[in-house]
Amino acid sequence: MERLIFDAAALMAIVFAGLMVAGRDPVKSVLALVVSFFALAVTYVLLLAPFIAALQIIVYAGAILVLFLFVIMLLNVGPERPDGMRRPIQTFLGSVAVVVFAGLLLGMFKASGGHLPAQPEAVAMDTLPDPAALARLLFSDYLLHFEAVSVLLLAALVGAFVLARRENAP
Amino acid sequence: MGGPAVTLVDWAIVILRVILPALLLPAFVIPLVWVERRVAAFIQDRPGPNRVGPFGLLQSPADIIKLFTKEDVVPASSDKVLFLLAPSLAVFAALSTFAVVPYGPTVRIAGHVVPLVGADLSIGVLYVFAITSLSVYAIVLAGWSSNDKFSLFGGIRSSAQIISYELAMTTAAAGVVMAAGSFRLTDIVAKQQGAFHLLPFVPRWNVFPQVIGFIVFFVSAFAETNRLPFDLPEAEAELVAGYHTEYSAMRFGSYFLAEYINVIVASAMTTTLYFGGWSLPGLHLGGWLGGLAGLLVFAAKTAFFVMVFIWVRWTLPRFRYDQLMRLGWKTLLPLALANLLWVAGLAMWGTSR
Repeated sequence: MERLIFDAAALMAIVFAGLMVAGRDPVKSVLALVVSFFALAVTYVLLLAPFIAALQIIVYAGAILVLFLFVIMLLNVGPERPDGMRRPIQTFLGSVAVVVFAGLLLGMFKASGGHLPAQPEAVAMDTLPDPAALARLLFSDYLLHFEAVSVLLLAALVGAFVLARRENAP
Repeated sequence: MGGPAVTLVDWAIVILRVILPALLLPAFVIPLVWVERRVAAFIQDRPGPNRVGPFGLLQSPADIIKLFTKEDVVPASSDKVLFLLAPSLAVFAALSTFAVVPYGPTVRIAGHVVPLVGADLSIGVLYVFAITSLSVYAIVLAGWSSNDKFSLFGGIRSSAQIISYELAMTTAAAGVVMAAGSFRLTDIVAKQQGAFHLLPFVPRWNVFPQVIGFIVFFVSAFAETNRLPFDLPEAEAELVAGYHTEYSAMRFGSYFLAEYINVIVASAMTTTLYFGGWSLPGLHLGGWLGGLAGLLVFAAKTAFFVMVFIWVRWTLPRFRYDQLMRLGWKTLLPLALANLLWVAGLAMWGTSR
């Protein structure tokens, strides 16, 4: 049963991610991404990580994509025209991404001995690692990564501030 | 799941626990609309609906029949799928939030242990915020799919408003989570039982140490439910009816229903996070009597906050958009952060003793 829901959710995440890329209407692309993220959150729950699932929905579906939608609606971006908008650099970067992703997939299969990983043991929901354990890891073993990401976010924040600031403002 | 064999009675209990609140919540809306209109009339010194049935009580059922039997108009230029989907999304988001709110203590009935809560998730608080953050899509989609400028304005306003106030609301609630040391709503209620050590006559509700957090949370709750003074997405004086301009019949009714359910849920969350949930100091009843008492206490506290929602609606005028943004980002968010520091300080003082 759980396996069935997991497969359905994973399939849905992939299908809607594809729809997001293929769609011509920006608003519908964002909505497809919302559904994809939601399906992803379902798989997280079934992988016994409800905390990550909740964060996935709150941060991505609930905040970032709402902002996307806000900007798209505010700028009133119409449907994308099918004629040649593609630049050479896009083709190049796209193929690099495909190669890297294929390499990652291959490496994963190799690491797991050529077959898909077995299903995790059924664990009672109460014995799950709680958010406190996650926080402890985040602020000890992974502190450097955590701080690096926050510096990155701060840089984005400063960048946005510089862009939004009016030149003649005091 | 494992454990002892699951009997038919256990299933029945689970179904009652889960389905009953989900059915009762919309049912409560019917008298609530009447209460709102009567209280509004009282505040404005006029009689209010008093013709249909005794005290006008049948006005709401009559309105429901009207809403269900009216013609359901779908604009020709709208995006059909999203236009039809959006109202049900609003009701879905409103209803599913209540699933994790504990509405009574754990009771023992004929050897069965029944916690009076839909689902006692370990991530309860986060679940509530996850679902409420999705509720914005119901409004934004309605605004966009209607293909109408007033609806679109409403949708854009709503997305900006909810993002701004969600931040303050979550930060305020983080204080409660820190005080309880758990995201689980039953833990949060359990932490608020009894009285303070230094002041034995004050119940240990979160509102007392975190009064700033409570104010921020409650004000943000008004913004999240689109109630006055934060109903800019539907501002009827400027935007006809905002995001639901193009909706008619029960699809309009769905937004109406969702708004009132949201008011009830926001009141229930305020009760749970800041006012001890179903518990009342000095009230210790065992068995099913305790369960019933808890239910009544919870209902009374929630009803009180629902009344505050109505009262505020007829007291404060609507904000202007820039005032809305200033209040959210420059007042509520810093206050919520200050509250967080204060709670952290309290927690450190508590552990160092």
